[in-house]
Amino acid sequence: MAEQNTIQTRTDKLKQKFGRQNWLAAGVLFLAALAFPIFPGVEGWMASQASLIILYIIAAQGVSVLTGYTGLVTVGHGGFLAIGAYTSALLTKYFAVDLLVGIIAGGLMAAFIGFLLGLIFLRLSGAFMAIGTLGFAFFIGTVANNVPIFQGREGISLPPNRILGLEIEDLGFYYVSLFTIGLITLFIYGIVRSGVGRAFMALRDSERAAESAGINRVFYRTLAFSISAFITGVAGVLNAHIVNYVSAEVYADIWYSVDFLVATVVGGSAVLMGPFIGGIFVVMVPFFFETLADFAYILKGVVLIAVLLMAPAGIADLLARPFRALRRRQLEQAETGSTNEAKP
Amino acid sequence: MSAHLHCENVTVSFGGVVACNKISLDVEEGKVVGLIGPNGAGKTTLFNVLSRFQNVDEGEVYLRDKPITGLKAHQIIQLGMARTFQNINLFNEQTTLDNILIGAHRLLGNPFADMLALPSSRRIEAKLRDRAVQLAESLHLQGELDNLVRNLPYGMQKRVELARALAAEPDIILLDEPVAGCNEEETSELKAIIKRVNEEFGITILLVEHDMSMVMTVCDYIHVINFGANLADGTPSDIQTNRDVINAYLGEDH
Amino acid sequence: MFGQQVISGLATGSLYALTAVAVVVVFRNTRTINLAQGDFSMIGAFMALIFIKDLGLNYYVSLGLAVVFCIGLGILVERLVMRPIADSDWLTLFTATLGVYYILHGVAGWFWGRDTKAFPVTFDPTPIKVIGGLLSQGHLINMAWAVAIGAALYYFFKYTKQGIAMRAVTDDPETAELMGIPVRFIVLLTWGMAGFLAAFVGVLIAPIIYVAPEMMDEVLIKGYVAAVFGGLYSIPGAIVGALLIGVTENLAGGYLGSEFKTVTAFIMIVMLLAFRPQGLFGIQHRREV
Repeated sequence: MAEQNTIQTRTDKLKQKFGRQNWLAAGVLFLAALAFPIFPGVEGWMASQASLIILYIIAAQGVSVLTGYTGLVTVGHGGFLAIGAYTSALLTKYFAVDLLVGIIAGGLMAAFIGFLLGLIFLRLSGAFMAIGTLGFAFFIGTVANNVPIFQGREGISLPPNRILGLEIEDLGFYYVSLFTIGLITLFIYGIVRSGVGRAFMALRDSERAAESAGINRVFYRTLAFSISAFITGVAGVLNAHIVNYVSAEVYADIWYSVDFLVATVVGGSAVLMGPFIGGIFVVMVPFFFETLADFAYILKGVVLIAVLLMAPAGIADLLARPFRALRRRQLEQAETGSTNEAKP
Repeated sequence: MSAHLHCENVTVSFGGVVACNKISLDVEEGKVVGLIGPNGAGKTTLFNVLSRFQNVDEGEVYLRDKPITGLKAHQIIQLGMARTFQNINLFNEQTTLDNILIGAHRLLGNPFADMLALPSSRRIEAKLRDRAVQLAESLHLQGELDNLVRNLPYGMQKRVELARALAAEPDIILLDEPVAGCNEEETSELKAIIKRVNEEFGITILLVEHDMSMVMTVCDYIHVINFGANLADGTPSDIQTNRDVINAYLGEDH
Repeated sequence: MFGQQVISGLATGSLYALTAVAVVVVFRNTRTINLAQGDFSMIGAFMALIFIKDLGLNYYVSLGLAVVFCIGLGILVERLVMRPIADSDWLTLFTATLGVYYILHGVAGWFWGRDTKAFPVTFDPTPIKVIGGLLSQGHLINMAWAVAIGAALYYFFKYTKQGIAMRAVTDDPETAELMGIPVRFIVLLTWGMAGFLAAFVGVLIAPIIYVAPEMMDEVLIKGYVAAVFGGLYSIPGAIVGALLIGVTENLAGGYLGSEFKTVTAFIMIVMLLAFRPQGLFGIQHRREV
């Protein structure tokens, strides 16, 4: 019994150490991102490009809550991006609200629409839901194009961004984006480790077993839908304010929707780091092939299929594998090591 | 006297085929009750009726005198009834510990507080984790807590499923073929565990099983159904000598 | 006015129907929602455009060549992309077709540019009087093609060995395999059929709209919605759904304003999914998705 306990404390200590390492790595990454603008060789335009990557990652994080953790596919999150963008744009234009208010309002509006949509769609099985969400993205695009208040393809131009009363430029906007993604990542981390996150994943893995454990399918899926829409809606707000402009030209097609899905799948939909890698991929491929935009499409398609064939859990999962194997070995050593000591 | 679980004239048909025809049965408080019958007798359908995965055409099911056919599947556990599945239905991509914790879902409290990890929820979470670890220990799963359940051997997966059901702190459990597919060693281990669950935890058990020796040694009382209808019921020794049951299992001409 | 709206709605609807049938056939045989179905059509339209304009070939020869090309494309996609992951869950299959969608969009844009091109119209543009309405010859010809293809499909599924085998695979792939039906070949045939139908849709719709990489995006959505009318399973259900969408959106566009045209399909799908998620005709889809 005593021997059992020493093994237990030893593995517990090791697990705590792994946990500390994770937090340390996340902290270093965040500090590096904070210091990024003062790195040598960094030019002004890069802040804006970095903000763009961040907002794509946030949108993909929204998709991953639904697709990765809850097992519901969505090909319509471009619709939530548009809802977030237009909500904040209209509030800024007519009420001159602070960007902070815009971010919260845009997220909440997307969450509300997501909730309504969830009530309709969640009774459906996967393939039907994919089609329904695709139709939703088209619907939002058409609304933006035709309802006068959204000013169609002409678009709405916005005044310079102000947050907490301070007027900000590209660099300030980068920091706003960075803090937003930090908070959202913590939010998702908390959910995934909570009972609610377990309920999401339980529904993903076996609906029946989840229901017999008392998990209310409609409630939790609607909740997942709303949270997912909220996060992508926040990305939408950033997407509107990064260029101070919204237009149906931008939001009327389905490229946003499919790009977010690709980012999630390529990066790894049920891994915290997945949307980060996927988001960088989706933004940087067209960036590097600026003059060969069509080649970028082809590359995205080829990488997507290659990932599905060779690393279905995503690139982040692939990269994490050696670390996980190393830690598992250390844990096993901690377990067997102590029994060996006890034996002689 | 009222039974812990009682169903009355349960009738279910799928397009013209009657799967359950006026089945009635009682499960008494604190007992281990077996439900047996030849293949296709309607056992699985009846189990699905009891756990609300299947609607009834007629009849009613009472759990401690409360009618439950109007409830949703996820509400059943709130009344203290848990179940396991025929071919193991675990959350394969998750660890043993998480599987057990999902079983404890109904003890979670407010989901919004839980999601935001408020202090009250953290306390609940810590308590649930402690209990899950204890439960794993009592089912000899302590070394597997951090392993994905899909990597566990079959007999162990069966125990994880049982642990998940127990985590909800039920007072009655439905076991759908608890030892199907297990080897002899695993079977006797599970048998002992089922006995202990019944005696130590005081949990009423209704089980469907094909392994007759297991049913006869574990159960206090047995219901036999055939062709979707009640055939016989009684103690294991009654059932073993019942002509109708023998005929049903071996065919009329034996 | 009303009759005219209905008839031209039926004409557009018949092209949605061909797309919807392809979506249904691929889905029920392979569990795959094919997001690249519209792009097969787009490639077909570009090929026909090249054959007619650059090579100066006859319209019908070009149509035939485009059909052959698209059948080949469908088969290629099955062999290279779908077969290696055939046993994966439906989400993986769906995402893989998304990869094909990207590649075909990119290829079309790379070779032929992103600008919209007009398709040479070879029909007499003067409208003809049909049952109280005026209709362009192009619409009539499209309808005739759609009916002919529908009849050919009916014959295929009812009387040919491959067609009957394909239905057996739809009903129960495992049993079909045991009965000696070459399931892999039937799946290949399914993708070939998707290409076949796609080519017709692309070439027939091109004169009505235009030719460009994104020309089919909207048509595809409507094809999907129509397929949902048949519960993603029933071909007649999908055809009726497609015609219904064609007519409804045309009426909405004619009486309420053109901006209502696109929204119609979404409103219809929401109503359908909310009230009859199993499809309009109560056909349960056999396989859990």
